[in-house]
Amino acid sequence: MPSPFGDDLITRMRSVSTHILAVEDDERIRTAVKLALEDEGWVVAEAATGEDALTAFQQQPADVVLIDIMLPGIDGFEVCRSIRRLSDVPIVMVTARADTHDVVAGLEAGADDYLTKPFAPKELSARIRALLRRARTSEVASPHLRFGDLEIVAEEGVVRRSGHDVHLTKTEFRVLVELAQSPGRVFSREVLLERIWGYGYFGDGRLVDVHVRRLRTKVEADPAHPRHVVTVRGLGYKLQV
Amino acid sequence: MTQHLGLRARITLAFAIGTLVLSALLSATAWGLTRQNLLDQREDSSGVVFYRNAEIVQQRLPTETDALTLVGSLATPLGAHPIVYSDGAYTPLTPEFGREALPAAVRDAVLSGEPVRMRFRLRGDMQLAIGIPIPSANAAYFEIIPLEDIDATLAALGMSLLAASLVTALAGATLGWWASRRALRPLSDVSTAAMALAAGRLDTRLSPSRDPDLRPISASFNDMAQALQDRIERDAQFASDVSHELRSPLMTLAASIEVMDNQRDDLTERAQAALDLMTGDIARFQQLVEDLLEISRFDAGVVRLELEEVHLAELVMQAVRHSTDRDIPVELDAELAGVVVRADKRRIVRVIANLLDNAAKYGGGATSVSLRGVDNGVQIAIEDRGEGVPEEDRAQIFGRFNRGGLAGRRSASDGVGLGLALVSEHVGLHGGRIWVEDRTDGLSGARFVIELPVEEPG
Repeated sequence: MPSPFGDDLITRMRSVSTHILAVEDDERIRTAVKLALEDEGWVVAEAATGEDALTAFQQQPADVVLIDIMLPGIDGFEVCRSIRRLSDVPIVMVTARADTHDVVAGLEAGADDYLTKPFAPKELSARIRALLRRARTSEVASPHLRFGDLEIVAEEGVVRRSGHDVHLTKTEFRVLVELAQSPGRVFSREVLLERIWGYGYFGDGRLVDVHVRRLRTKVEADPAHPRHVVTVRGLGYKLQV
Repeated sequence: MTQHLGLRARITLAFAIGTLVLSALLSATAWGLTRQNLLDQREDSSGVVFYRNAEIVQQRLPTETDALTLVGSLATPLGAHPIVYSDGAYTPLTPEFGREALPAAVRDAVLSGEPVRMRFRLRGDMQLAIGIPIPSANAAYFEIIPLEDIDATLAALGMSLLAASLVTALAGATLGWWASRRALRPLSDVSTAAMALAAGRLDTRLSPSRDPDLRPISASFNDMAQALQDRIERDAQFASDVSHELRSPLMTLAASIEVMDNQRDDLTERAQAALDLMTGDIARFQQLVEDLLEISRFDAGVVRLELEEVHLAELVMQAVRHSTDRDIPVELDAELAGVVVRADKRRIVRVIANLLDNAAKYGGGATSVSLRGVDNGVQIAIEDRGEGVPEEDRAQIFGRFNRGGLAGRRSASDGVGLGLALVSEHVGLHGGRIWVEDRTDGLSGARFVIELPVEEPG
């Protein structure tokens, strides 16, 4: 049955429901990025400082947050951590360079992905779409899984350790489920990057490493000596059966 | 000749010659004094015996008729050979120490009434001849006293002194060598430090010397190094600052252009053409800024490798597939199929991408990419179908803002000239090297070769 509003309107209404919070202190960049993202059909809220960003996020939770690490006042890492305490919303951070410690620090602060400045808005849109897809696909085709004290209820998006709920971000959850779908199989960084982040061979392996590290702090009894998510030297990661 | 000798060699030589001259002088003096002393002693003692014998001869000559008996009766404790002269005839005790053995000067002087004492050589041996006239009997008495033993002693002494002189000279040379090394050590420190500076370790400094004579050298060297470092860092910082400053407006431009591009269909054809120009040049501009920033980081020495274990063959395949010219044949050495190396994946990909890009811009496009193992490493070679790079341009092609061999022939597809310079930096950071040569199959075209050391993951 055709929709009384037409497909176009439905698409737009669905798009309208996607809110993006862009945190960037340079007004001109912020405006240009906002224009470009609005062309994608998303609603873009702006914040020029970390303080504004937190206020804005509390008033209107976004579906994706874009944070420039270099902010006056509260810096991007702190904003990232504060938002992480409130929500598991996907966060993309913007760093000055890819080969600095900023990237690892940002990921450890809770970011899901990163871009380096200057980036093409098309690249940003692609990253955002990948994150939205991840956020909405908890519908992984695998039933209840159990590994020792670890329990994954994929369809509910719930992970329990020793019977207690473990709170994972969407990305951490995807990493765990991806590994859990083929227990014992070794996944290279490249494969995980492609399946979870949508990057090809040239994605940044640190994305995987930092997310695995964060995942371990939540699902392992002793994160320094993991028993579930283990490293296979030179090859990648696997879920120990 | 000295201008070919090094400072150390010259100092050593001077020490050797100095000690040799000094010890030779001392030895000669010692030898001379000893000789004089020995001879004087011998002459004194033989003189006493001689005069006693001469007296006996003088007393007995008028009564003794047989001169030989007289000569034979004389006591000669020092092995002296007596000779009596009387009635115009010489009567020796031993025939070979007779008239002929005496030097003519001795005979003449004595016969003319002068007592004489003289050293001479007889058949190579040193002898002492003493003669005294005996006017009362119209006769004379001579003795020839052999001095061979003194001669031998002096020869032995001479040998020992010569040996001692040589040893001393050798010791002098050693001392000179050691002293010059001591004296030149600060210089070798300076040279090591200068080499380190030249190699890019800009924070190299000499440790301040405690020696007051050397302190000015190390101080001025360190001042120079500091000035150099400041200047280089200032230049690198400037390039870095400029690039950083350019990134924000570039970001705005890139995003704005994209917004305009989304509305492309609403633009006139002329506006679209202008938009395309802007899009193209902003991409170029962005690349330039990125490259400048990267190279300024190399200059500042802050670039670090992000090493990870990389499947080399796959890396090359992926890099080619990722490039604009994904159909280039890749030739892999079969034995490298499973080789895993520790490398910075993204830098190696940048290197291959930049070389393919370079081939596309200046070499009519790459024709092949090959990977093969060599001693202690691997070679990645990229060949194109261009005109090749003339011998004289091959070194500077990896410099900054050089368009290898094609300078002046800029086309719309021309990029910026930092690509190969960055390639060279990336490769250098991996401890590898890069060069360009002619294609090995004899066809026209350049062949860029990257050689990387293989560090087996341990």
